[in-house]
Amino acid sequence: MMIKRLAFALALAILILAVAGGLRYAEDAGMVGAEGARRTLQILIGLVLAAYANLMPKRIGRARRSPKAEAVAQAALRVGGWSLTLAGLAYAGLWAFAPLAIADIASMAVVATALAATLGYALWSFTACRSAERATVGR
Amino acid sequence: MSKVFKALADPTRRRVLQLLRQRPMTAGELSEHFAVSKPTMSAHFAVLREADLIDAAKQGTTITYRLKLSVLEDALLGFSQAFGIGLGPTGSADEAVPELSKGKMS
Repeated sequence: MMIKRLAFALALAILILAVAGGLRYAEDAGMVGAEGARRTLQILIGLVLAAYANLMPKRIGRARRSPKAEAVAQAALRVGGWSLTLAGLAYAGLWAFAPLAIADIASMAVVATALAATLGYALWSFTACRSAERATVGR
Repeated sequence: MSKVFKALADPTRRRVLQLLRQRPMTAGELSEHFAVSKPTMSAHFAVLREADLIDAAKQGTTITYRLKLSVLEDALLGFSQAFGIGLGPTGSADEAVPELSKGKMS
């Protein structure tokens, strides 16, 4: 399973590097403009983020110590998966259709917001879970 | 992917996935929500496991099921629920798992 995950991550990285190399070659050869090359690569990065985040809720790992912790971890993975997948698609969409100046800032803002939501939700829910467990032990 | 569609086509299995959205549950806890026999529920669980939509962890004699949906599969589940795809008599093993009815006949 670990090898499969690693192979998937490596395949995505190789895809990005290969497309970047291909676009540079095409740009130097005058087949594609600088803006087109930049947009294509950024769209690919957004789609790769969406593809990777899509599988995030499936990576549930080993069973946790308590049902409560299990439920919290499951919810955190779902929130993270959804927010980063949508952010990846929005990133790709912005680079495909928005003017460069807007795409440049808005795409970063979208991903940063999704990351903040993912980490914030995970932190909040794990803290709440810990507090609930401590309260149960303290009784 | 066809295994995923097959798994999501059945209302009982969709209900199982919806219940697992709340928290991981044991086979007994899940079965309480359906008026069907244990073998039928086991067949539903097997279809969901085969499609890699749930994960089963055995602790002693208890099997705990955990949700294992990708975002795309989660969205498909939402769509099939919203548009009532595969609506039929809930809990009918013959309807939900045709392999069972074939087995009965032979």
